[in-house]
Order: sequence, then structure tokens, then C-alpha cells
Amino acid sequence: MISYCSIEYLLIFLPVVFLGYQILPKSVRRYFLLAASYGFFWYLSGPLLAWHVAVCVCVWLTGLRLQHLLNERNKAVKAAERGQRKAIKEACAGRMRRWVILAGVVCFGILLSLKYTPFFVENLNGLFRHLGIHIQMKVPSFAVPIGISFYTLQAMSYVYDVQKEKIPADGNFFRLTMWLSFFPLLMEGPIARYGSLAEKIWEVPRIQGENFQKGLWRILYGVMKKMLVADRVNTAVELLYTDFANYDGGMVFLAAVLFTLQEYMEFSGTIDIVIGTGECLGFVLPENFNQPFFAKTISEFWTRWHISLGAWLRDYLFYPLSMSQPLKNLTKKCRARLGNHYGPLVTSSVALFAVWLFNGLWHGAGWSYIFFGMYHFSLIVTGSFLAPPVIAFCEKHKIDRKWFFYRLFQMLRTALLVSIGEMFFRALSLKHGLSMFARMIRHASLSSFTDGTALKLGMDLPDYLIVAAAVLFVFVISLLKERGCNVRERLYAKPVLVRALVTGLLVTLILLFGAYGKGYVPVDPIYANF
Amino acid sequence: MERLYEILEEMQPEYDYHTETALIDDHLLDSLTVLALISELEDEYDITIPAVEIVPENFNSAQAMWKLINRLMEE
Repeated sequence: MISYCSIEYLLIFLPVVFLGYQILPKSVRRYFLLAASYGFFWYLSGPLLAWHVAVCVCVWLTGLRLQHLLNERNKAVKAAERGQRKAIKEACAGRMRRWVILAGVVCFGILLSLKYTPFFVENLNGLFRHLGIHIQMKVPSFAVPIGISFYTLQAMSYVYDVQKEKIPADGNFFRLTMWLSFFPLLMEGPIARYGSLAEKIWEVPRIQGENFQKGLWRILYGVMKKMLVADRVNTAVELLYTDFANYDGGMVFLAAVLFTLQEYMEFSGTIDIVIGTGECLGFVLPENFNQPFFAKTISEFWTRWHISLGAWLRDYLFYPLSMSQPLKNLTKKCRARLGNHYGPLVTSSVALFAVWLFNGLWHGAGWSYIFFGMYHFSLIVTGSFLAPPVIAFCEKHKIDRKWFFYRLFQMLRTALLVSIGEMFFRALSLKHGLSMFARMIRHASLSSFTDGTALKLGMDLPDYLIVAAAVLFVFVISLLKERGCNVRERLYAKPVLVRALVTGLLVTLILLFGAYGKGYVPVDPIYANF
Repeated sequence: MERLYEILEEMQPEYDYHTETALIDDHLLDSLTVLALISELEDEYDITIPAVEIVPENFNSAQAMWKLINRLMEE
């Protein structure tokens, strides 16, 4: 599959887009950018583009309808007596809700039909077999448009935001479509909100030297992460996840760690390229990662990893559910009995269950993804449940929770739990994932690290050294960012010769140490399939 | 306003709510505390806080919360 790290994208598509964007007049430039986005979509998904257009038309019309209802309501409220206003608002809210539900049925209906029907039919067939019912349906197979899970969430966030009057509906179909199809965001996000981006893209500012240079560094940094680490460990990851039964627990643990590393470098590297592309054009796209492996708890990890998905789930699922009347009533009852920590924990557990079920299923139609969601749900709820006794324990035994080694322990523990979760996520099936976990425990051994097995996974010693050096480089950059240092800003303040040297050095590192050519299979964009 | 300070101090006593301006941005109040706080504020001021109002700007400081409460009481 073509990726943002491919030659086609970086050396053909991007230069053509940048050049066309810069030389065309403003009135044409925005349509050129829209055409480039749809051209990119067509290149990846062909006629499946029609599904995307259908979603754009649906949310555009829904937005206009909602805005019309809001305008009518405001007029009626203005003219009404104070006592009647509440009833007018409630009547309007009911009508708007029906339109939002209709848009949800269309948008999520397309997503569910194309992506999840085979999974449901397979499971239904399995259930029938189990119950001895002699009905077996043919499992359908549908081609799925690129990035459908991402743009569906974006589209629904627009409808919800219009309904809640956070943004006005957009009367310009092309502006709305541009935001929903903007080519850097198509494959792996981040899930950008209409309010923060649509208007800015539509302004299509000219490319500025400073933005372009900083964007280029960000792109090179992303390419480096992907080609030096994610692609280089790919052969080993493929081998270990396919043939795990032939290896001991140490190697299965290595599989978990290598995939976690690969996924982070691939996903965050792609996001670097995406944000860098936006920056070159003069747009600030939302960040999706904030040094996730410095997180001390799983809850914190999810505020630093795939931030835009977490924020979407928080704003459009967690809080609306937690603030629904039944759950509010439950919160009140539980607070009265269990106090201010455990009371809301009961309510939020109900909302979190829905969030993590959605999160798991969003990643893919498979039981391993549902398990992945439930795994993180359990860890987060357990973490919240244990927080008060852990704090009490630390206070009683005079353990400073801000002490470096205590925080290091928390970070390593979180990274370990995340890696185990990622093992289930990457495993070929849930059954494989459970077998891998069992093997890791039952056949725990470090012998394969010393008997040469680790060097027979398609990675030799130089491969490990290159990966280690690249990871160290990313760690240093992350540490600087964590401490508030903006590396690119500092670099930009240096003389042009230094900047050129650094740019050249990054390109040289990629060309010399990137994993490409004979013997290497680049990893497919992991999140593009979601 | 004084009652609001009391409620906040009952919830999480370790912060100075007269000066703190990044309660959400700096992760001083977690989602459980926010849920408990909303439940308490709704009871105390007889208001309904919709989910769409749960944004950092409305909960980053006691002042911001007070502004939100007054706005919702007027509606």
C-alpha cells in the first residue's frame, strides 16, 4: 500500500502539490488543493470515493437543516414570554436530535456496513453452528474506502458541534468537503475538528519560507522514524507473530516490545509527515502524540497517545454519556454512599465501558480489538480504584511520589502494560494473542538472547545497533520536548549553513541507514486500515 | 462565590483555588473529580450543566466556573 513515506508521495505528489499551490492565484488555489485531495483519495480507493462524497453531502445538508432550526428557535425565543422559552428550546432540541440521529445512521451505517458486516455474519454463523441451527450465511466482502473510520468521526463531530452551537453550519459545500478530504489527514488522521481547521485551510495562505523549512524537518524526522526503526524491525515482527510457537517466552516478550516500538515509530512518524506537510502549506494540524512513553499511568498514556481519538471519545461519547440523566442520577446516589472518588468511579466505569468498546471496535472488526479495548478499560478502572490506597500507602511509608525512581518505576510499568496490550492488538487473532501471552509466561527464558536466536529473526547486529541509535535519538528529542525545549525553533535560529547541514545530515542518515531495498519489506501504514 | 471555594476545597483540598488557573490543563482535576463537582454544582445552584459545557475554559479556575454557573442560572 502507498504510504506518506513512499517515493510517490514524497518525491512526486508533494512537490507537484507544493508547486501548483504556490504558483496558482488564490481563487484557484483552494480548488486545486481540493482536487489534489480527491485525486489522492481516488489513487488510493478509486470509485469508493463515492462513499466519501455521500458522507460529505449528508453532513452538509444536516448542518444546514440544524442551523435553520436553530435560527427559527432563536427568533421564536426572542418573541416569546420568558415562561415559554424553555418549552420552545426543548421542542427544537427534540427536532434537532432526530436530524442528528439520521446523520449518524447514514454515516455510521456506511462504516458499519462496509467494515463490520463480514465480522457480524461470521459470528452469527458461528453462533448458529453452536446452537445447532442449520443456517449459514455467505460472508460478504466489501472494499473499504481509505480512512473511513477517521473521516466518519470527523463528519459526526461537525454535526454534533453544529447541534450544540459550538460552530455555525457551513453553507459552502466545498469548504466542508476540503476539511473532510484534506489529503494529509486522509490515511491516519489526526482527527481534526471543523472549528479549528476548516476556515484556515479555506484561506489557502501562500507558502512561507519559515513554515516550509520547519515542516520539511518534521517530515524528515517522521521518515527517519519510519525507515530506520519501523521498517527495520518489520521482518522480525512478522516472523515472531507468525511463528511464535517456535520461540521461548523471551522472544515472545521481544515480539511485544518490538511491535510496540514499530507501531509508535510508524504511527507517530506518519503523523510527523502529516503535520509537516500541513506546516509546509501553512496550516497547523492537531498533534496526536505527546511523548506517550513518559506516561506514569494508563489513563495518562491515553492523553498522550492518539490524542485526537481520545479527545473525540471524551467529547462525543464519555461526557455526553456521563452527563445523561440516568447516569447523573446514579452519580448522585453513588456519591452519597461511596464518596467523591468511588461514587463517580461507578458512573464513569459505565461510560468508560462504552468508550473502550467503541475504541476497540473502531480499530478493527475482530475479537482481538474488542479484547484490546476491554484490556485498557480494566487497567484504567483498576488504576482509578487503587489510586487512593496507593497514595495512602506511599504517605504511610514516606515514599515521595515525585521521587525520580518512583516516577521511573511508574513509566516502566505503564510501558510494560502497554506492550502487552499491543501484543494482543497485533496478534493474528485473539486465540493467537492468548497463546502468545501464555507462552511468554510458561516458557519464560532469556536463553534465546544469548544463544544467537535473536540474531536469526531477519535482524543482524548492525540492524539492532541502528534501531538502538535511532531510538536513542528519538528519546533525546522527546526528552527535550518534555522539558519544554522546541528543537526546531532553536534550530531555525541558527545560521543558514547550520540549518542546511542538519537537513543534509537527516537526509544522509535516512539514505544510509533506512531499511529499504533487497531484504527489507516496509511496514504497511498500520492505522490506514482503520 | 465563597460557597464555590468551599465545594472545591471539600473535593480536592490540596490546591489554592483563589490563584489556580489551569485546573484542567495541568491535570489537577481528573475526570472523576469533574463528574463529582458537576453533580455537586447542579445540586447547589439548581442548574443543569450540559456535556457540551465540559471544556477546559469552563473549569480551569474557580472564576471560570463561577461565570459558567451564573450564565446557566440566567438561562
